[in-house]
Amino acid sequence: MLPQVVVYTFILGSLYLLVSLGFSLISGVLRVFNLGYGIVFALAAYLTWMCMRDFGLGLIPSIILMVAFQLGITYAMYRGIILRYFEREEILLTALILVANIVEQAVNYKYPIIAGVSIPTTLAPGTLDILGVAIPKQLIIAAIVGLIFTTLFVIFFLKSKFGLITRAISQDPQSSLLMGANVTRFFGYACLLSVIPPIVCTLLVAPVWAIDPFMGSSFLMTAIPISILGSLGNLRGSIISSYIIGFVHSIVSFAFNPRFMGLAALVVVIAVLVFKPEGITRSESLW
Amino acid sequence: MVRIEHKRARIIIRFKNSKYEWTIEPRYWRNPLIAVVALVLAPLLIRDYPNLLTLLTTAYIYMLICIPQSWQTVGTGRLNFGPQFFVGLGGYTAGLLSIHYGFGPLQTLPVVILISLAFAALFSPLTIIAGGLYFSLITLLLPLVFLEFTYVYSGIFRGETGISGIAPLINLGTIRLNYVVLCYISLFMTLVYMLLIDKILRSRWGVLYGAINDNENAANMMGVNINKLKVTCYIASSVLVGIAGWFIAHYFGTFAGVTYLPFTMLIKVLLISMLGGRAQIYGVAAGAFFVVFLEDALRSLGAIHYWIFPIILLVFLFALPEGLWGIYRKHKYREYYPTMRVRKR
Repeated sequence: MLPQVVVYTFILGSLYLLVSLGFSLISGVLRVFNLGYGIVFALAAYLTWMCMRDFGLGLIPSIILMVAFQLGITYAMYRGIILRYFEREEILLTALILVANIVEQAVNYKYPIIAGVSIPTTLAPGTLDILGVAIPKQLIIAAIVGLIFTTLFVIFFLKSKFGLITRAISQDPQSSLLMGANVTRFFGYACLLSVIPPIVCTLLVAPVWAIDPFMGSSFLMTAIPISILGSLGNLRGSIISSYIIGFVHSIVSFAFNPRFMGLAALVVVIAVLVFKPEGITRSESLW
Repeated sequence: MVRIEHKRARIIIRFKNSKYEWTIEPRYWRNPLIAVVALVLAPLLIRDYPNLLTLLTTAYIYMLICIPQSWQTVGTGRLNFGPQFFVGLGGYTAGLLSIHYGFGPLQTLPVVILISLAFAALFSPLTIIAGGLYFSLITLLLPLVFLEFTYVYSGIFRGETGISGIAPLINLGTIRLNYVVLCYISLFMTLVYMLLIDKILRSRWGVLYGAINDNENAANMMGVNINKLKVTCYIASSVLVGIAGWFIAHYFGTFAGVTYLPFTMLIKVLLISMLGGRAQIYGVAAGAFFVVFLEDALRSLGAIHYWIFPIILLVFLFALPEGLWGIYRKHKYREYYPTMRVRKR
């Protein structure tokens, strides 16, 4: 069992990085709990599928169109909901939930679960034997991409001027505003950046994991405990907690029952909160 | 001895150390009285339309969940995203006891209260250790984990089909009479919830809850035992939601977690609170009627109503920033208006 736990901790942890990175970014910079985050996953899969099947486009043009559309939707949500109701958080959260619900139901109306969506983004078919555990090669690639992507994200936020301003805003938006940062614009950039990791994640895991119109909810349920453990928006915390949750999910899946994964993650989160009420990194800024 | 006094447009009844007041001026009690009379007459007027009676009862069921939820929002200064956890707890407890041990509704009720009490006490420290978003996020996960649990132990909880054959709340011989009486029972429970919570929120405790809602650190510095108040508020309101689950189980005779535990139920509960009037207990009534009747009216559109319904609600959410209760409140302004805080501070 040990090799399986080790291998799947790495695989799941790396994938959870992609799942939670966007959610953590919005939590850290805007200090908003984006309950509409789940729709990015469903839209990534279904818009690509729609472009390919209904418009007869190839895979790459479909992905480009899908990304453009997702950025458009995210920007519209930012301008129309997040910015407008920034100070009315109860309206903001309810509106985000409603938008997620509208999108999921609309997708389900157009392509019901039985439609059988398949996106040909397989980079490497077959399985690979690691420590005696057979793993789909596609998942290994997805995990490696997750690691590379997170590294690039971190370097970008640590080394670039853009990252410096974003980190300053995540520490204190008011002071950043006084120092001349265009906080509203950077909030928008953070929203746009937040959709990239889940899109990459969906496209990579689409050939091996099930796709349905409500898949975003389950990804959101994974991103939430990771974000809580990682101090809600701290990228360092999110990276550590992705692997903690990956480990918890792996050990529960192999030792007990995969359906207890959510419960086990919740128990870990509550246990950590008892001793560290602000998550594992104690820092509420982006890094 | 009982002493009755007339002072400042109030009748004051004193008995030993207790004091009861009744405001004589009609503007304080006229409108609530009209509303209660209308609600009491409604089931009689629509008794020949079982569909409308069911809708009315469904609206009351939502109120039974949302009224304690509103109290909890005020009293703990936190927004619970998983009130349906206790609906599931109450429903499954009542259902399992009924089908396995043959318990009737009156026998399952005390057990439901005890179980809800135990779980609420278990989770109540969350109101102390988790603030703002942390609390909302953790409570959001609770019902979803419970739902997973019902799938894992489908032998007990019967998975997606749920438990059926639960003892009915009443059986008066005719279906129509059952519908009317059940509607009255749900109305009675709703009114009890409303009056109880209204009384609490107008009492000294209500002032303390208001202080916690505004700024719990300031309240703490002023000597308010905020932990005790938050924990008791969380436990009491959760038990009331658990009783709503008990009612659902015995009213429908079936109970399935897949109906009450998922995210969609949270959306409805949140919307009723929000469209009604942002954690206003009377606003919840307006919100519940609006959401339930609107959803039913849109059903005739077919499958498309699943996404037309949230679109309409979204429009109302934007158009009425203080909810339906806000329209009434403009004329009957109250100074205190609780805040719904979620964001990390």
